[in-house]
Amino acid sequence: MGEQSVLRLGKRSFSPGQLLLMAIVNRTPDSFFRPGETWDEQTAMQRARQAIAEGADIIDIGGVPAAPGQDVGVREEIRRTAGFIAAVRAAFADVVISVDTWRHEVAREACAAGADLINDSWGGWDDKLAAVAAEAGAALVCSHAGGQPPRTRPHRVSYDDVVTDVLAHTQRLAGRAVAAGVDPARIVIDPAHDFGKNTWHSLEVTRRLSELTATGWPVLVSVSNKDFVGETLDVPLPDRLAGTLATTAISAWQGARIFRAHDVVQTRQVLDMVSAIRGDAPPARAVRGLA
Amino acid sequence: MIVCAAICPAAPLLVRDLTGAEEVAPDLRHACLAAVAELTAAKPEVIAVVGAGSRTGVWNDGAALDLARYAPGHGVANGQRPADADRMVLPAALGVGAWLLTQAGSPASRLLQAVAPDEPAGACAAIGADIAGSRERVGLLVMADGSARRGLKAPGYLDERSAGFDAEIEKAVRKGRIDALLAVDEVLARDLMAAGRPAWQVLAGALEGRKVSSEIRYCDDPFGVAYLVASLRVQGEPSTSWA
Repeated sequence: MGEQSVLRLGKRSFSPGQLLLMAIVNRTPDSFFRPGETWDEQTAMQRARQAIAEGADIIDIGGVPAAPGQDVGVREEIRRTAGFIAAVRAAFADVVISVDTWRHEVAREACAAGADLINDSWGGWDDKLAAVAAEAGAALVCSHAGGQPPRTRPHRVSYDDVVTDVLAHTQRLAGRAVAAGVDPARIVIDPAHDFGKNTWHSLEVTRRLSELTATGWPVLVSVSNKDFVGETLDVPLPDRLAGTLATTAISAWQGARIFRAHDVVQTRQVLDMVSAIRGDAPPARAVRGLA
Repeated sequence: MIVCAAICPAAPLLVRDLTGAEEVAPDLRHACLAAVAELTAAKPEVIAVVGAGSRTGVWNDGAALDLARYAPGHGVANGQRPADADRMVLPAALGVGAWLLTQAGSPASRLLQAVAPDEPAGACAAIGADIAGSRERVGLLVMADGSARRGLKAPGYLDERSAGFDAEIEKAVRKGRIDALLAVDEVLARDLMAAGRPAWQVLAGALEGRKVSSEIRYCDDPFGVAYLVASLRVQGEPSTSWA
């Protein structure tokens, strides 16, 4: 591999120059950012609608927080996500729907309800996940969590070289997915900032993201309001937008293609700006100096 | 002999590729294309494009606007980028004019005539007379802007004299009194950043003694520059109505 090529998500195809915004809609009462904001289904639907209007390409629906906390079983996770996915699918025929889960049972129900993409942030912990993606014709995110079990925090993690580890693990997962029958045009890799990583690791992965994009696999980055941004800038949760957007721009510049975000309007603007700077998209309107 | 003439502004934003995703001033572009279509429909052997350039001279008839000078990464409009870029930089006025002709599918051969900003009225008129006498059927595309100082956000900020100056130009064209353009004050035109002055005077020289009726297709200043689009029909020449 090497060259980026067309990425297929659901019925849609995306060229390498298109930067895709994945808007987060959590079906949880206790996620780290704005907890419980979209716990209510009606509010969640309103949030999805607004995100699409604001320029989101993908709606990422999750039923379990990444952080440790109250146990959420398979049935409860399905209850939180599948029905809502079906409702979003019914309301928006063309939007790409992603399910944020590491569990194959949840992924199967989510895909049956209309999800196009299985967003596994936990590094392929459940080895039946790829088979579910293959069986459903869905796309799969192959991430790196440093081998940590789902919903655990990194504790004294270290790597010889974190980027080498990310590259090896995500490419191994991608290869496993292809072997399981997942369409290679539907495989995405994600270094998973903060997952199995301290702040230094996440900064290194960001600094050297071009090594991931050089593999040819489309790269997803999920950096929105995360702890590495907070620790880098020494700012609490409500003040992490600027750091998030800086990281987003740097990642886009290095060739990342999907950006998982809470703040849709601002992220869309950053992505559109980077696209124009790269020359992949024209400015919206150029008149200055041309009249 | 001039069989038909058109006046269009020399604004690079007429070139669709230069304005980004959004189509800017489509009514202006459509007016220009209609004027050029009428010019083409008069079946001239040659269309002379006249516009301001840094020096007076005739350009290679195959020259095209180098879009990359305005939007790096873009190519040449309908052509190849010249090998010797420094010497071959086509003035925007001629480049935009050539672009309009290509858009209109004009088959006529081209004469690309640049006129220096300080060319005196008499010399401009003489150039016009030469162009008119060069062939049996000559079409004239005059790429000329009015003042670029028509408002606080205009390229040259506001000069209160602009409105009156541009109104006089519009009136002369509308009434077919093209000879009046010879009297346009060179110093005032320069003060008002009215780059079209030499080209208007070439037009006046080319149509000297001819009866002209005109149609104003556009007259506005959406970006602080006076844009005038007009078709000039020379009496004795049948011309298609594009109303």
